[in-house]
Amino acid sequence: MTSPPPLCEFRSVCKWYGPVIGLNDVSLRIDAGITGLVGHNGAGKSTLIKLLTGQLRPSLGSVRIRGHRAWSSAAKRHIGYCPDLDAMYEEMSGRAFVEALARLHGYSRREARERTDCQLARVGMADRATRPLRTYSKGMRQRIKLAQALVHDPDLVVLDEPLNGVDPVGRTELLQLFRGLADQGKAVLVSSHILDEMDTLADQIVFVCRGRLIASGSLAEIRAMLDRFPLKIRVTAPDARRLAHALLPLELVRSVELASPDELVLEVERATEFFPHFNSIVARDGFDPERLEVLDASTEAVFEYLMRTVTHPW
Amino acid sequence: MPLMGTLRATWHLFVVSLLRLVRSRQTAVSLLLLAFAALAVIAWSIRRERTPAQFTEEIFLTLYTSLLVPIFCLCYGTVGVASDREEQTLVYLLVSPLPRPFVYLAKTAAAFVPSLAWTLGSLALLCWLGGAAGRKVWPVVWPASLFASLAFVSLFSVFSVLFRRATVLALTYALFLEALVGNLPGIAKRMAISFYMRCLVFDSAEQFQLSLRGLFQPEVFLPIPGSTAQNVLLIASASLLLFGLVVFCLREYASA
Repeated sequence: MTSPPPLCEFRSVCKWYGPVIGLNDVSLRIDAGITGLVGHNGAGKSTLIKLLTGQLRPSLGSVRIRGHRAWSSAAKRHIGYCPDLDAMYEEMSGRAFVEALARLHGYSRREARERTDCQLARVGMADRATRPLRTYSKGMRQRIKLAQALVHDPDLVVLDEPLNGVDPVGRTELLQLFRGLADQGKAVLVSSHILDEMDTLADQIVFVCRGRLIASGSLAEIRAMLDRFPLKIRVTAPDARRLAHALLPLELVRSVELASPDELVLEVERATEFFPHFNSIVARDGFDPERLEVLDASTEAVFEYLMRTVTHPW
Repeated sequence: MPLMGTLRATWHLFVVSLLRLVRSRQTAVSLLLLAFAALAVIAWSIRRERTPAQFTEEIFLTLYTSLLVPIFCLCYGTVGVASDREEQTLVYLLVSPLPRPFVYLAKTAAAFVPSLAWTLGSLALLCWLGGAAGRKVWPVVWPASLFASLAFVSLFSVFSVLFRRATVLALTYALFLEALVGNLPGIAKRMAISFYMRCLVFDSAEQFQLSLRGLFQPEVFLPIPGSTAQNVLLIASASLLLFGLVVFCLREYASA
């Protein structure tokens, strides 16, 4: 029995805009779960999303959704897209807009209406959906765009800056919604410049820079690969000075800073090897660390290190 | 998407596009233009008794063919895909599973309806306002209006696929290129849609004994038979429709 085709696969994809390269030799798989897409402006995020949603065709290589070319109609049935552009049919109400786009999926009026109601409730807009779109706040418009992306129950949801303009409460609700989609076995690709949210949201992160995919995987995996940049760890322990003394002989510890009488900041290499050593020292000498916090394994820090690696490889 | 679903989605897109076109400012522009044309015809007809030949020459060929038909057609023909691009809503159509040929057909069909309604409706109104002369002209000239409108809308739909500022370009084309090329001596004017429209009218309105002068003299104008002109307009409409469809299907809209 053959296994089903992957949900989304980029194979050696290049995209040129005339002489300008938008994406260069990108190979990538996106599976169920939340994938964050991170990169500076002009890095190739938009090109990657447009290729994925079938708005553009690759110059070289292939983008396939469930085995279909992303450009094809068959592939588009599997994709829900929430664009970053704030453009909608302004004269329509939120409900009419979502229903209109639902009907483009071939649903009957009744089914489109049922699906629209369901998704409007899901994004928290059921009671406000009859107002014209032009009267909506930015956050409400984001929710409507999200509802139209989900209306046909796609396997892959592509969200381009989905939290722009959403208030903190709404942000929490939407993050829960994204997590819920992932828990249902859907793949969610989130492109966002708010890197803090990626830390907790994304199961894996794709970093792009200058049209190239520079790293992909879980944040921890990518951070572990960045050997050149020692991991900064803050340890809160009652006897920090003695703990520092015990850790200093370790070859993996590059520096120790006593930030306060009960707080250390360590710089360590090869974190995966360091932690077993740390544990054994703690157990052997009877230390009682209260808190262990990795300071530079956030998306933002990893992104910064990756950018440094790309711009200054040596 | 199954065929039934595709047809349903296409029909829905047609209806949505049609409603958006009818409620657009293009309708206000067309209404204003028609009001001016109607006033001009009223002023023209109340001075003295007019003949069908005079109505054909002074109203139909001058005012209606040169100005009203291209403007009504470009008002709706150019906004099909181009307005979605300008408003940045084209992305919703491009990422929908509705195949692109159906998107184009739905958008273009939606443009045909108000364009034909305006061109034929305005012709009927002007003929009615033109009195007895106008009412005699209507049954003779409406097919020319219909075929020319089909060709104009097909052409302007191609503009809407190719250019973001399709309306401006189409206006330039209609008011300058069409007028210029359509009045060139020799056979160069055969590039203009209005040439075929006039040929159709010259042929079908022969009974009115038109006294064609200046550029419209047969020796200068070199008309072709009406049936040929009709076929050319039909073939041109179909070819332009097909061309627009192919371009839309192949084209990548990087900033949709």
